[in-house]
Amino acid sequence: MRTLTMTGLATMTGLASVAALSLMAAPAALAETGVTAETIVIGGMGGLTGPSAGLIIPQLNGVQAVFEEANAAGGIHGRKIVYTKQDDECLPSRGVGAVKKLIHEEKPFMIVGGGCSNAAIAQKPEVIEAKIPWVIVASTADSLTEPVNPYIFTTMSAAWMEVYGQLQLALDQGKTRIAVVWQPDAWGKARLDPMKQAFKAKGIEPVSIQEIAVEPTDTTPTVLQLQATKPDAVLLLLFPKAAVPFLRDAYKVGLQPLMVGGSPLGEIDVLAKGVGSPDSVKNLRAVTAAGYGVDDPQVAKWKGIVEKRFGDRFNVLHMYGISAGQFAVEALKQAGPELTREKILQVMSNLTVKTDTYAGPLECKPTDHQCHKALGIFAFQDGRVTGIGVTKPTR
Amino acid sequence: MVTLSNEPSAEPSSPRALKRRNLGRLVGRRPALAVGVLLFAVLPLVANPYQVYVGNLALIYVILAVGLNILLGLAGQLSFANGALFGVGAYATGLLRLDAGLPFWLALPVGTAITVAIGLAVALPALRLRGLYLALATIAFAQFALWTFVHWDSVTHGTAGFVMTPVDFTALGLRTTTGIYYLSLVLAVLLVAAAYGIMRSRIGRALVALRESEVAAESIAVDITRTKITAYTLTAVYAGVAGGLFAGLLNVVVPESFNLFQIVLQFCMVVVGGLGSIAGSAIAAVLLIGMQEGLRGMQDLQEIGLGLLLLGMLLFAPGGLVQALRRWLPGWTEPHSRGEED
Repeated sequence: MRTLTMTGLATMTGLASVAALSLMAAPAALAETGVTAETIVIGGMGGLTGPSAGLIIPQLNGVQAVFEEANAAGGIHGRKIVYTKQDDECLPSRGVGAVKKLIHEEKPFMIVGGGCSNAAIAQKPEVIEAKIPWVIVASTADSLTEPVNPYIFTTMSAAWMEVYGQLQLALDQGKTRIAVVWQPDAWGKARLDPMKQAFKAKGIEPVSIQEIAVEPTDTTPTVLQLQATKPDAVLLLLFPKAAVPFLRDAYKVGLQPLMVGGSPLGEIDVLAKGVGSPDSVKNLRAVTAAGYGVDDPQVAKWKGIVEKRFGDRFNVLHMYGISAGQFAVEALKQAGPELTREKILQVMSNLTVKTDTYAGPLECKPTDHQCHKALGIFAFQDGRVTGIGVTKPTR
Repeated sequence: MVTLSNEPSAEPSSPRALKRRNLGRLVGRRPALAVGVLLFAVLPLVANPYQVYVGNLALIYVILAVGLNILLGLAGQLSFANGALFGVGAYATGLLRLDAGLPFWLALPVGTAITVAIGLAVALPALRLRGLYLALATIAFAQFALWTFVHWDSVTHGTAGFVMTPVDFTALGLRTTTGIYYLSLVLAVLLVAAAYGIMRSRIGRALVALRESEVAAESIAVDITRTKITAYTLTAVYAGVAGGLFAGLLNVVVPESFNLFQIVLQFCMVVVGGLGSIAGSAIAAVLLIGMQEGLRGMQDLQEIGLGLLLLGMLLFAPGGLVQALRRWLPGWTEPHSRGEED
């Protein structure tokens, strides 16, 4: 058996002391997950592949554009943001794996992501268990932020907000015979129930509630049924794939009341192209999370950055990501150089930020993490999508 | 010709053959499965929660694929209902917990029993249908089930699905993720062992006889109706258990988890593993879940990879992985597998 000599003992003690000193010398900030002296790792998840990728990728590109601009300006208190993304295919069954991979392998300081409500609902318990601050970019389900959870904030309008705004717009224009057309999927369902509640709150009944397929080819029978009820306004809970055939068939049969869509119908110029006539959308209004049209001077800077950096055609989806990114950057700045999750949660709970792409400021309170309050109202005028007002829906 | 014996018949006599036999004892099916179980048993001790989740998912798909193999590989029934039955198992277990307030330990077996009852309802028309017609009827059932998940709001909670509280394993001193993992492992081992037991039994031989020829099977006194019902029941048990575990793993149940892609994935596991091979199905389930996770964010590659894998199997190893394993590993035997023919 080997005996421990004095020299050996001294060497071991020396090594142990060096190791202990090294640990003590590490700055406190390095102890926080995802934060080093040079970087802050921020995670994002969404449907980067699959049928919803066309909707999600621009949103996350918007977030990334903001982070890259912040990095180019010297970073946040000297730290560069590293934005790492995982694909959840917009499916709950894939979403849990995506967020677990993000949390346990990428080890981010916080998350800025989430585009599909069902996937986000499945991811929510994982985020809460890991106690990671999460800024939701575009998932709208009310249950994500109601009741308030200390770790979860949304910079997107909640599902109830848009439908209340749509109904209010119709009522403000003196409409009384209001119909609803919806698509039977998770997104449509998440809006139909609040829409019914909104009608009830106003003490009125819709003259008709019609369902059309998510990707219909012909909606003429529905349009004719709707026409028979003589509506003076139709609220559309539709994505463009359903809205284009509906608007086309409505125009064909001469059904042209006020029509009010939500965020997915914000690109009215694209809808007009799809339908084949600008006249088909002359009575269409869109109540959306975004505050400006894509050609408005207020967003020209971001349009240039996004189109140059990603080669995308700038649209409202980028605007959601840009606002979420700016919210996160401002929160990181206000949390200071000694960055901890606890600090940023405190900051976000009382944060008000005027972003470049929303009509009003994002306002978070400890009792309200649905930070988006002001919705833009858009119409297609003079060949371009134009902002014609702002609404702040309340329940 | 189909080999119905359960063990290899050739007795090695030359030193070379003896050496191959000894090698076979070392790398054969049983040692390989034992090593697999051991690796899965230690995974939570060495892996991060994401890797444990992927392992758990693989175990659930092992149960599903082995169950489907009984119907498809052993009994030769071209049924596409398994994705829907998987969903029924998940919905039944989840709803029993959420709306009926049953604990998971009770909801899982009751949910499985409900799945079996619905599986038997699928079996009834299947008794009169074969081949393409059976395939069409079961695809219709799968679509009907999906429609029900989406539209029967008052029961299924509709398109948005529902979220449950995590399963509580504190009585066993385990966290939820670890508890559901080891429960999946135990059930996977038991159900794989049960599948081997079924294969070696009179029922297994009847299923294989049914697969090869209904007329010939009847001529040797196999009760076709009873055998088919048995096959559908057994597969529904596996799908029900897997569905219940899936609901326990995700804590959320939504309709899009049980769409047509489920059927494609499960069929790939059985075909890649080898029709009729239990070990093949289990190995293919682990491989395909691993591939799916490894190619996360590359859905195009996932689809191309799955297609290439299937094409490669059909061209170079039509008996599936198990055929290749039997060729390369002399000790690897698989009772009743299609690969035993060649």
